[in-house]
Amino acid sequence: MSNILQSNYRCALGARQETLELLKVSQTKQSKRVIMGIEGEVEIPYCSFTNSQELSYEEILEEIKEVVTPLLNSLTDTQKRSCCVVVGTSVIDLKIIESIESSNYAYKRQPYSSQKRSIDSYAKDISDSFGLHGFTLTINTACTSSANALLEASNLIDEGIFEYVVVIGLEIFSNTLSSGFNAMQLLSSDHIKPFDKQREGVVLGEAIVATLLAKEPSKWSLLGGFSNCNGVNITSVSPEGEEYAEVMQEALKKADLTAEDITLLKAHATGTFSNDIAEINAIERVFNKDIVFTAIKPYLGHTIGACGLLEMAVLIDCIDAGFVPKTLNHKDPIIEDLQPLKEPMLCSEGTFMLNYFGFGGNNTSFIIQKGEL
Amino acid sequence: MKLYLHAISSYRSDKEDIVLKKELKSRYKVDIRRKDDFIFAGLLGALRLKEQTDISKESALYLTSGYGNINILAKMNKYIVEDKESIKLFDFINMLGNTTSFYVAQELGIKAKSIFQISDNFTYFNTLISIYASLRQTNKEVVCGVIDLASENDEVLQRVAAVEQNTPLVSSVVFSQLSLEEKGALCKLEFDTKFYTYEEIKEVISKSSQKLYLSQRCKELEGEKSSFYIETDASYLINKAIQEQEDYLYVECYEQRYKLLKITA
Repeated sequence: MSNILQSNYRCALGARQETLELLKVSQTKQSKRVIMGIEGEVEIPYCSFTNSQELSYEEILEEIKEVVTPLLNSLTDTQKRSCCVVVGTSVIDLKIIESIESSNYAYKRQPYSSQKRSIDSYAKDISDSFGLHGFTLTINTACTSSANALLEASNLIDEGIFEYVVVIGLEIFSNTLSSGFNAMQLLSSDHIKPFDKQREGVVLGEAIVATLLAKEPSKWSLLGGFSNCNGVNITSVSPEGEEYAEVMQEALKKADLTAEDITLLKAHATGTFSNDIAEINAIERVFNKDIVFTAIKPYLGHTIGACGLLEMAVLIDCIDAGFVPKTLNHKDPIIEDLQPLKEPMLCSEGTFMLNYFGFGGNNTSFIIQKGEL
Repeated sequence: MKLYLHAISSYRSDKEDIVLKKELKSRYKVDIRRKDDFIFAGLLGALRLKEQTDISKESALYLTSGYGNINILAKMNKYIVEDKESIKLFDFINMLGNTTSFYVAQELGIKAKSIFQISDNFTYFNTLISIYASLRQTNKEVVCGVIDLASENDEVLQRVAAVEQNTPLVSSVVFSQLSLEEKGALCKLEFDTKFYTYEEIKEVISKSSQKLYLSQRCKELEGEKSSFYIETDASYLINKAIQEQEDYLYVECYEQRYKLLKITA
């Protein structure tokens, strides 16, 4: 069993403490970004923490370093040498874009030089900068990227392959990615409205989050999780939610728990038509109607590749502060007697299931627990 | 760490004169609409593997690549940056890393975990380590797909591959079925998390009875090397070991750090 030693993050609500303060009073922050729409540039609501339209590779790397520094500075040099890096992200590979532009467009041409680069370069540069072991991986499974990164990292800890793993969730504004969501008609014009009949889509967001996993004792543990793939449709699942229910039930089995053991469910809750109907039906299948659940995306935006880790880290901070945030923007339920939290709930311990479902049929659910240290 | 390989399939662009799209359509009756060459490469590897072995729906799927789908990034970049146009829906979907794993899982009937992952260096080695950790937890089979597709403009890939200009590139696809079960295996793969120094690797090589095969990046070492650059060359060597019934010691190098893969056929 892997333990969650500590996390750090930056998201639309700010750094950790600022985020917690705003969540306590059920506040969110949204700004606007300009993207390429079907008929030219359009403005979309966006949950951002950076000011520039698009950051460079080097700027993103500096932001990641700031987030991981408190975690990695807690390790001795010997511990760092047994620490690897696993990233979950769906960001565009900016180093390959640089190479494309330099090779394909005469006016952007740079003298030939070659350095090994890939989407995993952030992980490699972090590993080198902090003197870590050198093993790095970057997982891209869309919205489940960093949830899967956490589970893969947990396998490495559980098998004693590494003593520590720093798991990083990364999502930074990208015109290309946002335009893709726009082309799929998945973007809301105002807010994420989870499990609400008036829901109209997601508000995208950016975040950098890091979590340190190890076997050493901690009050928070990752009890188990499961990941599956739905091979039927690349962008949606059945409205009945069988695939989502299956991944939740398998996660319970992996953690050796039953549905009755779950204190609270953090739903994926994108506010899109098909995801929410499938997820609410899956919740009903697994828990009947006997479950407390909430959604975090209305506060932070849908941070795609980062959401798996970010929403876990934020939930942990909230529980440690003694509460669970209410679900913002939920008024008109899909199922009358199965509604997410309408008011913040006092909660300082328990067992928590977290759901993540994504494009490409990837579904992941895992369970964390706060116990005695 | 040890893994046992039970089935393998491959494709190399320098060894077979086929058009991926046509091959999939004519031979395997695959619906080729809305897909691109990177997905075609993955599907070809997967379907060739399926011809050789039964694949359980409970198998996990791990796909890896040195770079991912470069050509779709170039296409998207042209839409947004150069042409100032909105991107096409299915180009966007094809750009997502796990789109290829979706189509592969669909063809193989896999319903369990499906992961698309890349390491900046030693990507095949690191994927084997992930697979080993996963198998130790579940004891089910894994399908490992390795896809390296040369970019339409060679220079794009050459610039991010740490190679000299005009280094010849080829596309390579290798799919294999891996487990912890020795019985019935075609070969054994041994690897670890250790990085070797030049002196250490020289000593390992000098004591090894296995045939040596070197990555193109091992410039300071003498031995048989591929004449082409392929990031995931190690995966292709497994074919050779099985065909020749020869044990191999594969050495990869990056930034003066070496890694070893022992292939026992």
